[in-house]
Amino acid sequence: MVRGDFFILLPLIITGGAAVAVMLLISFRRSHLATATVTLVALGAAVISVICVAAAAPRQASALLILDSYALFYMGLIFAAGCAVTMIAYDYFERQTDHREEFYLLLLLATLGSAVLVSSNHFASLFLGLEILSVSLYALIAFHRERLPSVEAGVRYLILAAASSAFLLFGMALIYLERGDMTFFRSTQIASGVPAWSPLLLAGTALLIVGIGFKLALVPFHMWTPDIYEGAPPPATAFIASVSKGAAFVLLLRYVTLFGLHSGSVQSAAIAAIAVASMFFGNLLALREEKVRRVLAYSSIAHMGYLLVAILAAGPLAAVAAGYYLVAYFTSIIGSFGIISVREGREGGGDAVSDYRGYAWRHPWLGGAFTAMLLSLAGIPITAGFVGKFYLLAAGLESSLRLLVVVLVASSAIGLFYYLRIIITLYGPPEAERQGAAITPAVSLAGGVALTALTFLLIWFGAYPAPLLRLIQAMVGG
Amino acid sequence: MSGAELNIPALWPFVVYSGVVIFMAIGMLGTSYILGERHRGGAMGQPYECGIVPTGSARLRHSAKFYLIAVFFVIFDLEAVFVFAWAVAVRESGWAGYAEMLIFIGILLSALVYLWRIGALEWGSRHTPRRGAEDSL
Amino acid sequence: MLSLLWLIPLLPLAGFLSIVLGGGRMRGSMVALIAVGVVGLSAAMAAAVAIRFIYLPPAGNSFTQTLWTWIPATGFMPEISLRLDALSLVMVTVITFVAFLILLYSAEFMGGDEGYARFFAWMDLFVASMLVLVLADNFLLLYLGWEGVGMCSFLLIGFWYRDSANARAARKAFIVTRIGDAAFVVALFLIFTHLGTLTIQEAAARASREWPVGSGLAVAAAALMLAAAVGKSAQLPLQTWLPDAMAGPTPVSALIHAATMVTAGVYLIARANAFFTLAPFVQWLVAVIGAVTLLLAAFAALVQCDIKRVLAYSTMSQVGYMFLALGVGAWSAAIFHFMVHAFFKSLLFLGAGAVIMALHEEHDIFAMGGLRRALPGTFWAFLIGAASLAALPVVTAGFYSKDLILLCDWTSKSGSVWLWAAGLAGAFLTAMYAFRLVFIVFFGELRTKPGRKPGFRMGAALAVLAFFSLSAGFIQIPPDIVNFSPLSELLETSLPRLSAVSVGTQTEALLQAVAGLAGLAGIFFAWFFFRHPALVERLVLTPLGSAFRRLWLEGWCFDRAYDALFVRPYIRLAEINKDDCIDLLNRTLARACESMHYLLIGTQNGRVRQYAAAVTLGAIVIIALMVLL
Repeated sequence: MVRGDFFILLPLIITGGAAVAVMLLISFRRSHLATATVTLVALGAAVISVICVAAAAPRQASALLILDSYALFYMGLIFAAGCAVTMIAYDYFERQTDHREEFYLLLLLATLGSAVLVSSNHFASLFLGLEILSVSLYALIAFHRERLPSVEAGVRYLILAAASSAFLLFGMALIYLERGDMTFFRSTQIASGVPAWSPLLLAGTALLIVGIGFKLALVPFHMWTPDIYEGAPPPATAFIASVSKGAAFVLLLRYVTLFGLHSGSVQSAAIAAIAVASMFFGNLLALREEKVRRVLAYSSIAHMGYLLVAILAAGPLAAVAAGYYLVAYFTSIIGSFGIISVREGREGGGDAVSDYRGYAWRHPWLGGAFTAMLLSLAGIPITAGFVGKFYLLAAGLESSLRLLVVVLVASSAIGLFYYLRIIITLYGPPEAERQGAAITPAVSLAGGVALTALTFLLIWFGAYPAPLLRLIQAMVGG
Repeated sequence: MSGAELNIPALWPFVVYSGVVIFMAIGMLGTSYILGERHRGGAMGQPYECGIVPTGSARLRHSAKFYLIAVFFVIFDLEAVFVFAWAVAVRESGWAGYAEMLIFIGILLSALVYLWRIGALEWGSRHTPRRGAEDSL
Repeated sequence: MLSLLWLIPLLPLAGFLSIVLGGGRMRGSMVALIAVGVVGLSAAMAAAVAIRFIYLPPAGNSFTQTLWTWIPATGFMPEISLRLDALSLVMVTVITFVAFLILLYSAEFMGGDEGYARFFAWMDLFVASMLVLVLADNFLLLYLGWEGVGMCSFLLIGFWYRDSANARAARKAFIVTRIGDAAFVVALFLIFTHLGTLTIQEAAARASREWPVGSGLAVAAAALMLAAAVGKSAQLPLQTWLPDAMAGPTPVSALIHAATMVTAGVYLIARANAFFTLAPFVQWLVAVIGAVTLLLAAFAALVQCDIKRVLAYSTMSQVGYMFLALGVGAWSAAIFHFMVHAFFKSLLFLGAGAVIMALHEEHDIFAMGGLRRALPGTFWAFLIGAASLAALPVVTAGFYSKDLILLCDWTSKSGSVWLWAAGLAGAFLTAMYAFRLVFIVFFGELRTKPGRKPGFRMGAALAVLAFFSLSAGFIQIPPDIVNFSPLSELLETSLPRLSAVSVGTQTEALLQAVAGLAGLAGIFFAWFFFRHPALVERLVLTPLGSAFRRLWLEGWCFDRAYDALFVRPYIRLAEINKDDCIDLLNRTLARACESMHYLLIGTQNGRVRQYAAAVTLGAIVIIALMVLL
């Protein structure tokens, strides 16, 4: 280790240090505000440090981590998303009394795990990051210890994630066996004299896809999503939906890019099949679902399917498209769960679609923001989601993935139904007994700032995508 | 698989031993299956068919404390493995290794402080930390 | 200065956003201040830009400001860019200025309405959309403004939506103009696929290069754009929405008729003049449509009893004049008439609004009368507006613009005596119905006692508009009087010059005299009929007279004809087709999706072992696929 390595690892060091600091803070002074503030400041500092170290990129820090502009961009995205989740969580836990400070500790650890994941260049760091993330997630999901659904969701995730980790490990082992190296680069390169695709290597790759596919909730590894989304506290769900999945996707994209996925090859056919199934299953499952969080869970399956199109498309435009789509998806899904969490934290009430009837009349701002988020998820113009989807389609067409593009469009059309259903319900006539019961203020300062910022970004990225696009092109496209 | 390198003759006692074990297990189960009596009805379908009808649920409630202590033991004991590994190579790893180990132990220590402060090490519910972080798991 | 161009549409938009977001918590005066203030600022910006543009013309007499590219993709660069040239300059200046006065007026007029904030929010958005429309450098952005204008007109016509008649009028306006909008979209597709660009200048240049005159594509593009323009500008055959559009508050009518909605079509044709030049037949059609509309609408205006309906038909007729001018290639004459019309028509509507307000929502002109003394200010304003509408020679602005159009009809190479005659007859009729209105409403005996009189803000708006209704004509004086025509010199930097057959000064003077006389004759007849009501009575009672009266009262029964020809058969078809054909396909799809949903949702049963089994099974399938294939 030399000084340069420490410098470039600064974002990770800040996050890790912050986790320890928060732990000590909790043990000496239990204060919700202080804990949340320290977390927010640490994550903010991490974002800034990403910008600072960007000049020194790319750099291989030890054998395990590579900090190139690709990793740094997504790291920044993850930390920023962490900031938003922290603010939403502060709003959510403000009204709860029990052991809420630990949430931030776990959040920091999960963020650290995701950051390691996106910068990993080696199977060891991959697994390390994945496990830091997963173990924190078990606790985050089951954070409401006293609520049965939450604990149930936590246990469910524990069992399934552990099982999928086993697949992943086995896949790594097989690849190592065949290639004799754990770094991505060499494990994907074809050494001289070795057959290009031995069965063991193929099986290892397949198992790797299974492990990552579970994290991404791709069909057929998707079944955990609705139960976990429903059971976990909404801020935790926001984190799972965005950062956890995003990090796994970024990793997959890096691996596959190194791999050089040839269209028409068996691997790409398998991924294409998964993508098609995910797009259709996700949207079809959400169609008549009655619970909002489950709807969003199913829709996230479809969204990950859309993203796979970028992986299959390969090429500079595909990387940009994936980057843009991820940013748009992060913004809209964190915003959506932010509003769900604000509503649940303040107003209580069930999670059924019908419980949202007239919500926009009681809280016009929140209702409007929720509408914007949902429209973005549906991919309606002048929201970020539209631009993201547009580039996905462009990337797909450029690589002439006709079938996938058609499926993307068709399944998006199916998806429109359930997004619009929620929006219509939001603006439906409010129930009589709820009419006068508007709670003021509808949202705390932290939550309000986070939601306003997210909505603003959503419209900005949708109406004026050029700056973000340039940034992504510079960071990811090269 | 580089099977040629394996020393087959040295392995044969192990193979025999495995064979005997498997044979014994199959033999015992098979014999009792062939020779054993067959009763139907009553409490025979239940576990513990030795004649006593089970009472109460098998899901006993243990105090969470036992579990907690066990988990602490596993965690802190496991960490010791890393310290051993470092101790073996203390000269080779040099000051950098020393610093890394310090950080490692420091993190462990702060975790211990945390556990102590939230009252995880207390036996019984006498001590409740300031902000009611305690509840029975 | 010019680089601040983007502020002009942005300011009203910002006003709209701030009212929408915070209007619920603001006081009424605050809302009005924001709404009127932003448009006022925008007008000031427009004036500053205009001064800079005129005294220091930018290179090429146009200024393009590219703000950003929306979503760049290979071969498709939807740029958000604004273009300022003489045409858009005149449009922007007039729109912001007139809109500012109308908003100032509404701040008082709408006082106490429960939807005060909503009203101003939509009005600001309306102005912003129109500004985007005229400033757009490419068809895509223009279309955004075009649709924005359509949407705002829908929202504002149906502003008092609790009355279902208003909502129906709003719907009618929306649907009828939608027919034109659809044509516009097709035109855009056509242009993009065949010319490969949506930038207006670039498309026009390529069209002139690649398409021969009268070629099929050029005719198709021009005809589609004409259809769009006809819808928005309420010309034959899509004019039926305009008379009903007065269901909205009076300032809305003023804005729609004077500055925003109906002039969008005129602007579009002027902006896309290259396409029309390539399709002489379509251009001739523009003139014919204009001529026919102006005559039909003028006849209809003669017999209306509702004060706003008279004005609505007169708008139709005046826009017909603009079309007539466009059709003979007198582009700048059309824009000149647009400008003058904006002043006197908003003046007339606002004056009518003052009258209606004073008489407690009374629209029937026969319940008015004798208001000359009761509302002197309004009377003078209305009189000036009517005089300008009637093109009273020399003193009013309307005279100069209408005279120019008539002259162009005569002299243009594509003009003809028939078009000129139609215009002349129209001038006669216009003067007649305009003064019929003045005489019935303001002269005679007092029938209803007026209540609230217009206050300062309404008065100021009326006064300023009255001033411009008289004086706006002096920036374009016919050469035989004084050779002073800065407007057409300015406009000819961006619009083609009229290719005219030169006629002698004497002929020109003679034509002017005839046009002036036609107007005066109209006024005289109006006065004559007003003095002899018995004569009118007798005329109306003859079978022919009563038939025509009924025909004109219903606007030539277009509504009824469309109802019988399109609406009712369509509804009947829809009823017959209620549950089959296309729907069947859709419903089958929907049901298929639904049943698949129920099929799939069974897998989500919450059993972890089944979930794990699915993971394992999936893994096996993938491994098998990858290893075996």
